[in-house]
Amino acid sequence: MAGYRETLMNKRALLASVGALTMLVGFAGAASADEASDGLARAKENIAKYTSKPEFVAPGDAFDAKACSAGKKMMSIPNNSGNPFLKGIIDRMKAAGAEVGLEVREWENQGQPSQWVQGIELATREKYDIIDLISGIDPGTVAPQLQAASDAGVKVMTSHFYDPSFEQHPVVSSSLTIGFGEIGTILADWSTVATEGKANVALVISTDVPPTIPLVENFKKQLAENCPNCKIVTEINVGVTEWGTKIQPAVQTAVQANPDINVVIPIYDSMSQFVVPALRLAGKTGEVKLATFNGTPFVLDYIAQGLADMDIGESLDWIAYATVDGHLRDACGLPTPTALNVPFYIFDKNNIAEAGTPAQFDTGYGDAYKSGFRKLWGLE
Amino acid sequence: MTDALSTPSAAKPAVNLTRQFERIALLLVWVVIIGLFSAAMPSAFFNWGNFSIMFASYAPAALLALAIIIPLTAGDYDLSVGATLTLSASTIGVLNVWHQMPIGLVLCIVLAMGVLVGLFHALFIIYFRVPSLVVTLGSTSLMSGAVQWMTNSSTIGGIDNNLIMAAVGYRLFCIPYAFYYALAAALIMWYIFDYTPLGRKLLFVGRGREVARLNGIAVNRVRVGALVMSGVLASAAGILYAGVLGSADPYSGLNFLLPAFAAAFLGATTIQPGRFNPWGTLVAVYFLATGITGLSMLGIPLWVTNVFNGGALILAITISQITRGREASDLG
Repeated sequence: MAGYRETLMNKRALLASVGALTMLVGFAGAASADEASDGLARAKENIAKYTSKPEFVAPGDAFDAKACSAGKKMMSIPNNSGNPFLKGIIDRMKAAGAEVGLEVREWENQGQPSQWVQGIELATREKYDIIDLISGIDPGTVAPQLQAASDAGVKVMTSHFYDPSFEQHPVVSSSLTIGFGEIGTILADWSTVATEGKANVALVISTDVPPTIPLVENFKKQLAENCPNCKIVTEINVGVTEWGTKIQPAVQTAVQANPDINVVIPIYDSMSQFVVPALRLAGKTGEVKLATFNGTPFVLDYIAQGLADMDIGESLDWIAYATVDGHLRDACGLPTPTALNVPFYIFDKNNIAEAGTPAQFDTGYGDAYKSGFRKLWGLE
Repeated sequence: MTDALSTPSAAKPAVNLTRQFERIALLLVWVVIIGLFSAAMPSAFFNWGNFSIMFASYAPAALLALAIIIPLTAGDYDLSVGATLTLSASTIGVLNVWHQMPIGLVLCIVLAMGVLVGLFHALFIIYFRVPSLVVTLGSTSLMSGAVQWMTNSSTIGGIDNNLIMAAVGYRLFCIPYAFYYALAAALIMWYIFDYTPLGRKLLFVGRGREVARLNGIAVNRVRVGALVMSGVLASAAGILYAGVLGSADPYSGLNFLLPAFAAAFLGATTIQPGRFNPWGTLVAVYFLATGITGLSMLGIPLWVTNVFNGGALILAITISQITRGREASDLG
């Protein structure tokens, strides 16, 4: 009898424990649901900032750009002249510089450090005022030559290379940074919103490109913050030189091995040309969402064709104006902005027609910046 | 006389057994790695969908490896096949997308371009007697430059959907057509290599030009033909690549050169060991593809695939040499 009572009491205790546990799980579930919906709301709010037409924000006070530019020369050295994105920026910098009388020359190269050195040495010999390293040349790789240029009175500046979290090389006078971390947060929030808070992500990255680090770090941070039910299923790391041979098979196998993947994020949009066929072959086109960054025209065309879902773009012309503005301010001893301040703009199926058919590098961003900079420079 | 004949035939079975094993060694290793990956990932790896995708996506690489073995058999290197593939894919992009030319006409132009590439190589290699290694290395750079010029160094998307459908859209036994084109090329090459006088001539020219010439073979004509066929097949690989990707980019094709050479040499250790042969090449391409796919699925970092490619090649050739008692290699 005592044994029976003991068993009964044990059963009651067990029932009570199970009940308490169920309530606890229920509360936790409710809290988690709140957390998820709050996160989703925050993500939507953040994304909204990048879906409206970019507005011009003055990077500093107005100044007499013509007087500042008088007799000044700038040598722009891109990471590789074969890159149409960089070539496009420099061509537009030449036009923007011409408006105020700044001579901009491109040092054409094929991505070889020995060619960059030649350009730096020429700029030093010919007494240029500014050496501008655009998007990809790490000043550390050509430090002795830059030091010699700096000692000779040439100001070394970078644009579209450093993330604000990076420390610039001591030889560099000023840097117009670009928020690669901010890109990471946009991609994370877009994934959250597009899947209603249930993103299972395959990230395609290239850690050999320095901006990848802040971009991926911020992506992970933002995803953890705004999407408790999202996860990164796999990270595919492919060096730039091997994109053509490795991305497609790796993405194919990833979506095959993990059928729960519903978003693929190639962080640089030129990777998409290998992700799109991978999804097509795996029969996942449309089913798995594709979001990326750079605004390259052929990827924007993918959106129009329904092969990709989102691309974060920047206007090349805007970058060109902002670079000329920032570098002139430094060259003339004015307070210099620390960032390019070129807004990011999300292209998706709703606004892709604005990018042109076929899409162009500079279409769809509006032209608020042109009159903005011209007013700042005292031209209007 | 009977004794003289019977003596070697008595020793024959042992030799044949080793040779037979050598013929199928790579196939066996392939089966073993499929077994291992299947045991590790029964649902993800061991399903027809996975294999069908793998067969299709490596078809351009297979075609490129097949292109390489034609001049290799005739004793010439063609290092430009990657560049020819890129030139072909980019030309499709430029003519079809930018100039709106019908895809059928564009494909004819691209194949004709493959003929021209082969003739260009032949002019320098055979007429001016410049080593094939130098000529094709030079033309690689030349074509890369031309491609960057004509594409403005940018990727061209929006290639005619008919080409995409013909490559990866239509399927037979769930495998996209791309694979069957590579299979058909291997079949035709196998027939020519093994059952026609042309195939024998190609082999003789590769094994000894002077001996072939003394035997009345038109050595130069055979070499020109081999270089032209290599150019045409590399162009066809470019067509397939553009069809699989649905776009053309001016850089990525060049990266196929080394894996294609690895497959060609690895393929020469199987089916018909010691000889570049189409079936062996095809097996090698898909053996390497299986390894890469399996390792990727296991979540192993992608640099391991380079180690796998290189390691498999060196190991296979070494084993092949050991089983033959380290005789001098025919592969140059």
